[in-house]
Amino acid sequence: MDFALDDEQALLVATLRRWSERELRGWAADADRAAEPPAGLWKAAGELGLLVDAVPEAAGGMLEGAYSHLGRALRGYELGRGCAALSALVESNVEPALAVARWGGAAARDSLFSALAGGRIAVFAHDFYEKLTVAPDARGGLLVSGKLGPLPGLGIASHALVAAGESLFLVAVPAGRAASAAPSGWRAAAWGSLVLERFEVGPEMVLAGAAALEVLSWYRASLAARALGVAAAAIEYAAAYAEDRIQFGQPIGRFQSLARMRDASETAIAAARAYVLQAAWEIDRGAASASDTTSRARDLAADVVTRATIDAVQIFGGYGFVNDFPVEKLMRDARAFEVLGGNEALSRVLARTRGGA
Amino acid sequence: MDIFHGEPMFGAAQQMMHALAEKEIRPIAEKHDREESMPWDLMKKVRAFGLGQSAMLEARRIAGDDEAEGDKKPSRGARIAVVGVEELAWGCAGIALAIGGSSLAAAPVARIGSEEQKQLFKQALKGEDENGRVKVAAMALSEPQTGSDISSLATTARKDGTHWVLRGHKQWITNGHSASIYVVWAQTDASMGRAGVRGFLIERGTPGLIPGRKETKLGIRASETAQVHFEDCRVHQDMMLGGPGPSEGLGDTKKMLDSTRPAVGAQAVGIARAAFEYLLERVKAGTLRGTPLGGHQHVAFALAEMEMEIQASRLLVHRAAWMADHRMDNVSFASMSKAHAARTAQAVTTRAMALLGEEALEPGHAVEKWYRDAKIYDIFEGTGQIQRRIIAKNLTGLNAI
Repeated sequence: MDFALDDEQALLVATLRRWSERELRGWAADADRAAEPPAGLWKAAGELGLLVDAVPEAAGGMLEGAYSHLGRALRGYELGRGCAALSALVESNVEPALAVARWGGAAARDSLFSALAGGRIAVFAHDFYEKLTVAPDARGGLLVSGKLGPLPGLGIASHALVAAGESLFLVAVPAGRAASAAPSGWRAAAWGSLVLERFEVGPEMVLAGAAALEVLSWYRASLAARALGVAAAAIEYAAAYAEDRIQFGQPIGRFQSLARMRDASETAIAAARAYVLQAAWEIDRGAASASDTTSRARDLAADVVTRATIDAVQIFGGYGFVNDFPVEKLMRDARAFEVLGGNEALSRVLARTRGGA
Repeated sequence: MDIFHGEPMFGAAQQMMHALAEKEIRPIAEKHDREESMPWDLMKKVRAFGLGQSAMLEARRIAGDDEAEGDKKPSRGARIAVVGVEELAWGCAGIALAIGGSSLAAAPVARIGSEEQKQLFKQALKGEDENGRVKVAAMALSEPQTGSDISSLATTARKDGTHWVLRGHKQWITNGHSASIYVVWAQTDASMGRAGVRGFLIERGTPGLIPGRKETKLGIRASETAQVHFEDCRVHQDMMLGGPGPSEGLGDTKKMLDSTRPAVGAQAVGIARAAFEYLLERVKAGTLRGTPLGGHQHVAFALAEMEMEIQASRLLVHRAAWMADHRMDNVSFASMSKAHAARTAQAVTTRAMALLGEEALEPGHAVEKWYRDAKIYDIFEGTGQIQRRIIAKNLTGLNAI
């Protein structure tokens, strides 16, 4: 057992920490106000290899050998520290790329990988809320009706990898059809919804024999890592502010109640981060427990980020409530982590069948 | 309804305000939140309900706040206020604050203003401004470096003949951009500390009074919050609240905060109740894997917890208001009611969003708005930490740090 990062992981963390603090944090506030990602995001993320790191090298990507979900969790935490919305876009391609590489036929691979190599974005859409009806058609394809989303990234995506019931399939998103208004959190994440009416998914786009549950675990581990990055950013901002802000003759961070508030979140973030890394490590090893651990880690991380961002606003006081300071955005951003990837009600009500949804 | 049982006036006030909230406020709440705009049309309309911008002055006189010491007849004003504002905030907390925002400034005028100052204040709010809007008032106390610790104001007032000259910056001022009249707090004599802080009535258009930029906020977006700047703003000495002699100064504003805290708590109860009712409707209608949502303990117990906290918060609010009406020392109960209700509003809206799941991510969703609106109740009018200091000091006699 070894908790130390290897050289490659340490370099990844250091590089992304720098990029996230300089670029993502620099873009975050304006992108939030504009409700769209900055133009420079794609080029910068592309140069870092973030967008095609899960696409096989032979298909124009950067993946040689096995993908590391542990590395992805380390990276997600750093990106989340920068901006929840932009990190969601940067992480979006991973599930479709890995799933299609593993279970997709030649046509699905060509369709997705050529789009991704051309700079397009794909999203993963799990039908937690059972809004889709999926029926097999005579040709071995699927006939799908219902609504996808709202989902981050879907507004600009070329493809959606959809998990519904037992099926996993790839949908080529009709151009210009999916963009929708941004909600209050992750505003810059190019949200979209797509209504499908007897939409024909050809047999070549169905990922036969795929394990949708496994894909869900990848997604949840990534969500959890990013959630904790957002939580960490909130508490870092609040801690810095609490050192500067003087009331009643001393920095407010020295008052025990606020010091304790900060301390509790830092402890929770550290514990949850260790748990998320364990979940990712279990995914990498193909452990049977991975889906269960990932589901629990995501629930925990969603709680931690909600608490941490609400408390960060509290520590900022009146400044926390206004848009000139970064934490009110983080409090808005916190909530999507709970809903995407199965919301609290579903994953906890169904705790006995945890791993079932 | 608990301690008000048998008092028809409270029920009537509640029904009237609920109808207003349901018919007039709810339908426009999402729009004003999205546009971050004041509900000027509604503010004009609600004058007919006795909710004019100088209503606080009238209400205080009716409620008997100005009655001589020793008159033991209970007032009803505090209880009517908490019953009414819970309903308005159930409609939309931001709009409730827009409707009632001028009362923050009216309270110190009513408490320590001279008859001439009261007349001036009411006159300033009569009619409409150049844009055809209801006139509003602003209470300017907080400053960039002065939030919780209100004894360290940096805005100064310097005597110059028959005038006072004000310099400084005010922050988080409700109606700060649009007000027709301001009650501004400034330090007249730093050597006197808190006692040197005095209030001044200043009309819009007075040279040196510069309304600043409006803030973009997490919640209560229908209520305007702005900075206000004072650059050698000259105010006649007759405009100082409490008269030329020694006055309690800021001590009066502290008392004023004690009397408004139950009403602030009542607004938080209104937000919590709104989110709770929304969730309850969904739970009653919903199923999960073929069984009713309400039959799942995870969901059912969450509802039970919310119901407990909302009822407990409301009882504290009503108790604090009842004590105010009976002229009992309610400092601790006022703080408990506000702090408890704020915590309840945050907890209920947070949990309701989680249980609603995906729909809470739809743009403009009501429960998500209430989640954003709730947070300010743990910050303004004394943070949750300040309330706990007050409650604890009442128990131990010590200022805890």
